[in-house]
Amino acid sequence: MSEQFGGRDGASSPERHGQDAPRRGETPALVARRISKSFDRTRALDGVDLSINRGEVVALVGQNGSGKSTLVKILSGYHEPEPGGELSIDGVDVPLPVPPGMAGEIGLSFVYQDLGLNGGMTVLENLNLSLRVRHGLGAWSPIWWRRERREAERVLRLYQVSLALDARARDLAPVHQARLAIVRSAHDLRRFQQASGGHSSIMVLDEPTVFLPEGDVRFLFDLIRTLVSLGGSVLFVSHDLAAVREIADRTVVFRDGRKVAEMLRGDFDEDELVNLIVGAATPRRSSARAEATEEPEDALTLDEVTSRSVAREAGRAVPAAAAASGPSRSERTIRVEGLTGGRLRDLSFALAPGEIVGIAGLIGSGAEDVPYLLFGSEAATAGTLEIGGETLSIPQLTPSEAVRKHLALIPADRKQFGLGLELTVWENMVMLVQDDHFKRGVFRRDELVEIARKGVVDFGVKPPRVDVRASALSGGNQQKLLLAKWLLAGPRLLIAHEPTQGVDVGARRDIYRIVRRAAGADAMAVVWVTTDFAELEEVCHRVVVVSRGRESGELQGDEMTEDSIGAAVLRQLEEVG
Amino acid sequence: MAAPLVQEAGTAPGTPGHEEQELEEKPSRGRARIGRGLDRYALILAFAAIIIAFSASVPSTFDTVANLSNILGSQAVLFILTIAVLLPTIMGDFVDLSLGASLGVSAMTIAVLNVNHSVPIVYACLAGVGAAIVVGLVNTVFVVYYDNNPFIITLGTMTIVEGVTFIISTNATVGVVSTGLSNWVYTNTFLSIPLEFYYALAIFVAVWYVLSFTPVGQKALVIGQARDVARLSGFHVNRQRAWAFVIGAAIAGFAGIAYAGTYGSVAPTAGSAYILPAYAAVFLGATAIRPGRMNALGSLIAVYFLATGTAGLELLGAQAYIQQIFYGAALVVAVAFPTVARKRIFKRRKTPILPRSTAAGS
Repeated sequence: MSEQFGGRDGASSPERHGQDAPRRGETPALVARRISKSFDRTRALDGVDLSINRGEVVALVGQNGSGKSTLVKILSGYHEPEPGGELSIDGVDVPLPVPPGMAGEIGLSFVYQDLGLNGGMTVLENLNLSLRVRHGLGAWSPIWWRRERREAERVLRLYQVSLALDARARDLAPVHQARLAIVRSAHDLRRFQQASGGHSSIMVLDEPTVFLPEGDVRFLFDLIRTLVSLGGSVLFVSHDLAAVREIADRTVVFRDGRKVAEMLRGDFDEDELVNLIVGAATPRRSSARAEATEEPEDALTLDEVTSRSVAREAGRAVPAAAAASGPSRSERTIRVEGLTGGRLRDLSFALAPGEIVGIAGLIGSGAEDVPYLLFGSEAATAGTLEIGGETLSIPQLTPSEAVRKHLALIPADRKQFGLGLELTVWENMVMLVQDDHFKRGVFRRDELVEIARKGVVDFGVKPPRVDVRASALSGGNQQKLLLAKWLLAGPRLLIAHEPTQGVDVGARRDIYRIVRRAAGADAMAVVWVTTDFAELEEVCHRVVVVSRGRESGELQGDEMTEDSIGAAVLRQLEEVG
Repeated sequence: MAAPLVQEAGTAPGTPGHEEQELEEKPSRGRARIGRGLDRYALILAFAAIIIAFSASVPSTFDTVANLSNILGSQAVLFILTIAVLLPTIMGDFVDLSLGASLGVSAMTIAVLNVNHSVPIVYACLAGVGAAIVVGLVNTVFVVYYDNNPFIITLGTMTIVEGVTFIISTNATVGVVSTGLSNWVYTNTFLSIPLEFYYALAIFVAVWYVLSFTPVGQKALVIGQARDVARLSGFHVNRQRAWAFVIGAAIAGFAGIAYAGTYGSVAPTAGSAYILPAYAAVFLGATAIRPGRMNALGSLIAVYFLATGTAGLELLGAQAYIQQIFYGAALVVAVAFPTVARKRIFKRRKTPILPRSTAAGS
């Protein structure tokens, strides 16, 4: 599709680079050798090699925790790798860790998921943002707006992108924002290339497609191809196998911190790729898991460095029993029908009281919208929720209505939406029950403090003090406090989004136990949304898989393993995309 | 050339520079906790200090019932307006600039109706409070329901209402308001203190009770500190903000009654002189009792700290305008002192980060 664009505009530059390329052709644009990195006892990267040739698009795929982002962050200088690794760009050795700020000076440019645009500034201002950062006298040099305008128009033409220079970035459609970010990054690299006399440049695209609507992704591919034709190289980090198939010359698979395979464009085989990403041929693995359920301790695989082992031990009795029998369909009295809104299209599922149902999906699949739509905090366009014999219209649901109907929400962003960090522990904990302690004009604060005192002990919040600010607690303890706040209100349906994000292993185990106990004892249904599939396997009775905004499958019992969930979310992408 | 990348990578969290900063934050927190006990009573201590200082320097005039009556009585208008200001502020709507104008329009409505149109004083007062409430409702519509910045909207309504006040007064000072009103507000006393002080105290007690001893007040606190959390906890955030604007405006209307009663005649610019001192008192009050939180008791102390300071300075022979300098200086010192003190401590132990226990020493 894009070949026709190739060298139509800006014909001079590609040609120049075309001549350059053969001379330097033998030297890859980027070579990384033996890169390792550990976090605490987790081996995030284990002696990884990666090379990118000039003019090549290399896709980096792997599950969460496979080490992709760690590698990207080592390249950007954010993480310090272990000694022994090497990095060279265009044949020149780069010191490791990459010194802060050096990435740009050696021809690396990064476009992250959030794109890094300034929403209030115009396309032109965003495009030339890098020119504004100058020091000393340079900071006082005037801005020649007309010249910059002409230059910007030329650049946009070069990359086959048409954008109004005076439009504000936040007013652009998501796909145009992504294109602007990529063009900006590409243009910065070209300035670098020209200044350095044809030095290699590598653009790292870290999941740039996840928030784009279906179909729009293709607009980026033309851009990437143009970029490559102008002499750049691209490292494309993505979950989206359809996109990878389309754009990558070579696909590198990471798993558990190791490079497990490389696939050239011609050999691209999606089934094999999914198996490589998730670890093994799925059927074999899941049968192994099935045997193992009888003896959970032995089932622990050594490569799992997550909380899994501890967590499994903590609560194994409950899911084993429930998963075996499972509530029958007729017991599933809490029903979500036709939930539509955000990226989600017509999602339906049902839960029984006491049941923990996972929603699995990649970032951008719509799974992450489920909690907020269901709670009425983001506007849904359609859908009903049947709970306690009542049918509620989800588009009309507000958070206060949801609370009244005994719904509870553990949001992923606990600092913004979960806890008042400047409020004390007790003030946070009793937030939903304090109305009951106002009798005949007297606010029984002593009773509330007593409840909180009991709460911090019951829920294992440490330190067990109620008069400190919530901001003084660690992430795990904040999360326990947040759970306590909601569970004290006795919800019928708990909706949790990434409830163990940024939480240490011990607290994670506590959180699983707390939720299981509440689900079992108080017949509370739980919707658990996370991209940590090991956690879903661990905690849930059943998992609903969502991809591209739609339900694409349901897993339960023995077939519900981390690997099979991981495979399901990836596979569905291809079939639809 | 690729300078922004330099910047981005350099300032990204997790780079060595950033970590250092974070490590420095931690001991300061422990230190701040120790300091908080002091912070809490610093204003009260300062209050005590200026009372002792003035008593020592001008005992013949400062230590008198007349002076106490003057301090408590003359500042009742400011006291009432401070309570009005407290309400939207506590909900996180940091400014309602129009409250001063509401005071003015209320006082002017009373004066015009009573003096020019001979409306009985009771009805005139009701109309005054009503006018103030209308201003509050307009603010509510634009700030709460249409979700605009309260600073900008109330700046606009303040200006409009001040203009309206000029129109209804035909740009002249209106007086003299019925002596019935001034008798019941200012002339009559109880324990040698004008009655308006007790009215102010009654309003204060009501607001203090609601804010500090009811779930409504506790919710207001959550709304002010973390609005998103309040919303997702099912609180009626907007409803409560709306009430804060409207009740705040009504209380400003009462302040207008007190003004008309105290001064007898009303100038078109009456309100604008009060709004900034009222904010000074609220922010000063937020440094006391519950540091970092707007609180009713702190505001009460702050109002009378400022009133005592200016009264004392006047007795020492200072001009009336010294009041402004005193207000401003008190606010800057009270708000900046904790952070200035903390910075100094940072500088002293820059390199090795000492365990928290040693922080108490400094």
